[in-house]
Amino acid sequence: MASHALGWLAVAFYCAAQICAIVSLVRPKIMVARATPLLIAGGLALHFADLLHRARELGSVPYRTLGGSVSFFGWMLGLAFLALALRHRERATGPFLIPVIIVATVAGLLLPDSPSAPARGTQGSVFAWHVTLAILAYAAFALSFVLSVLYLIQSRQIRRGRQGPLFSRLPPLEVLGRMNRTSVSIGLAVLALSIVLGLVWAERFWTTLADPKVEWAVLTLLVYGLLLWMDRRGWEGPRVALLSILGFSVVLFSYTVVNMYLTQAHRFR
Amino acid sequence: MSAAESRLLLLGWNFRGAEASVRERIAFNADEVREALERIRRDGLATESVIVATCHRSEIYAVSDGERPQEEISGLISRWRGLDPAEVASASFYREGPDAARHLFRVASSLESMALGESEVLGQVRGALALAREAGATRAVSHRMFESAVAAGKRVRAETDISRHPLSVAAIGYELATRVFGRMSEHTVLVLGAGETGTLFAKLAREAGIADVRVSNRTAERAEALAASVGGRAVPWSVVPESLAEADLVVGTTSSPTPVIREPEVQAAMRQRRGRPMMFLDLAVPRDIEPSVRDIYNVYAYGLEDLEGVADENRRLRAREIPKVEAILEEELARFLAWLGNLAVVPTLHGLQQHLAALRDRELERLPASERERFRAFADAYAARLLHEPMRRLKDEPDASRKLERVEAIRHLFRLDE
Repeated sequence: MASHALGWLAVAFYCAAQICAIVSLVRPKIMVARATPLLIAGGLALHFADLLHRARELGSVPYRTLGGSVSFFGWMLGLAFLALALRHRERATGPFLIPVIIVATVAGLLLPDSPSAPARGTQGSVFAWHVTLAILAYAAFALSFVLSVLYLIQSRQIRRGRQGPLFSRLPPLEVLGRMNRTSVSIGLAVLALSIVLGLVWAERFWTTLADPKVEWAVLTLLVYGLLLWMDRRGWEGPRVALLSILGFSVVLFSYTVVNMYLTQAHRFR
Repeated sequence: MSAAESRLLLLGWNFRGAEASVRERIAFNADEVREALERIRRDGLATESVIVATCHRSEIYAVSDGERPQEEISGLISRWRGLDPAEVASASFYREGPDAARHLFRVASSLESMALGESEVLGQVRGALALAREAGATRAVSHRMFESAVAAGKRVRAETDISRHPLSVAAIGYELATRVFGRMSEHTVLVLGAGETGTLFAKLAREAGIADVRVSNRTAERAEALAASVGGRAVPWSVVPESLAEADLVVGTTSSPTPVIREPEVQAAMRQRRGRPMMFLDLAVPRDIEPSVRDIYNVYAYGLEDLEGVADENRRLRAREIPKVEAILEEELARFLAWLGNLAVVPTLHGLQQHLAALRDRELERLPASERERFRAFADAYAARLLHEPMRRLKDEPDASRKLERVEAIRHLFRLDE
């Protein structure tokens, strides 16, 4: 079992970022808002060092173990959050998104970290990119999920005409919708690329492409594709947010149940 | 209290203690404020004074060393206004020293306003100081007190949520629109009706930075006049349903007896907008917009009663901030009172004597020990002689404000506060 001092330090940075994000939400006049992205970036650097350390010990990509893959998911989530926050200059979503990063990172540190012997063909770079991109896509969908939940709560409160002290400082619906769109678009593009790379790789090492994991990934692709289409066709708003939540439940299902019970080919142990 | 010590006082009539009928007859306009300040000075009732005159209050802040300043100023007002002295006196409230300053701080931070957290009063307090200064009625104390009160008022608005949640239905509606649309500068608002409420909202929208303000009215001329005054454009009444789709925010303010905007029209507009959200604010009685439009997907619609409910809620939210506001005020007040307290003659005299003694000791250090005693006696006699006349004059100064100013000058020149 590797020591994860760097990983825990990264968690400390994320927690500090969360505190800054909450303070800047509750008391916008106190100038700590700028510290949040810096702390997240610091946490990401430490987290990356921890992943590198794991990779060295394994002698392969860090996500060959369950702990490693969840931790890597947390890292991607942090990266996606940082990109989204900087792209939309919107920090008010921090207190709702950063906890997801913290939970994933901590889970990655606590979950078992003992790898089995590498399966055939899992050392190559095509395979590594396939998994990396898939995890990035999941991270983008997770962000979209949180943004959609915020959208629905926000929209309900606006409809009622009153908002709690916390939610009145959330970004307007327009901005939440826009952030959601960016994050789904990225997730969709990256997932598609990941699937293509997976197919390229599978052609060499598998005999058949019929695997539940592949089917679920394609379903995910369809759900989020439908979401973007609806968004353009006049369904923007609560319905798109609901679909994003549905989409993420498909992602979760394929990340957990499908991985553990349904797929044979996607188990590399 | 000795007549020699100058004190701060406040005599006021506000909506809490005085009937509107009395208040109205006392109320000062700007010219009357100047005249009142002049009369107070001429009659020697106070050495400095400032009058805060707003719709709901007339408050005279003064520095005086008179025996009965409350009766004297109240008497002056009743004589001048031709009112029954007893009535004027009984409707008034009187504060002295720290309590007078505290009241001003509370006024500046809107704690004494009818609408808690309103921002106009801060400007009114600032204006009162400017007017009194122009009239030559202010001196060091009132000046410092009003500046401190304005600073406290600003701090209160910056550090608490007392002004955050809007209270007027127009401002509440506008804020709801920003929660949906974000930056309103890129959006379009259509105001139906060019009456009082319509004008109010069009101006609010303009001030808030909405670039595209459109106005429609049954009488086209009035729409055009209002549109011109807010830099927007008029929409002919007959094409309102067709032009609905271009508006993100529609505000109903007409006096039409039947709804002006009907559900099918909104549905058509939403189709044209490809589902982009729309908001309707119905500020009209009876309604301008069919209530059922709120069931259309992505339409946010509010009636007057919804917005008034929010106003009540916001009033409660503002009231919750009062303890925080009071804490800030006490902090700022303590700073002002510390400064004011230092302006007493006796402590300043002691301070000055200590200061001179310290200087003397430093100089004596340089002398051989054998000669120190002799020079100490000389230095003490010299200092006593030097201070005697200035101190006598300071103590005997008849003008209360001038006395405070001179004490302040001594404290400043000899750095007694550092």
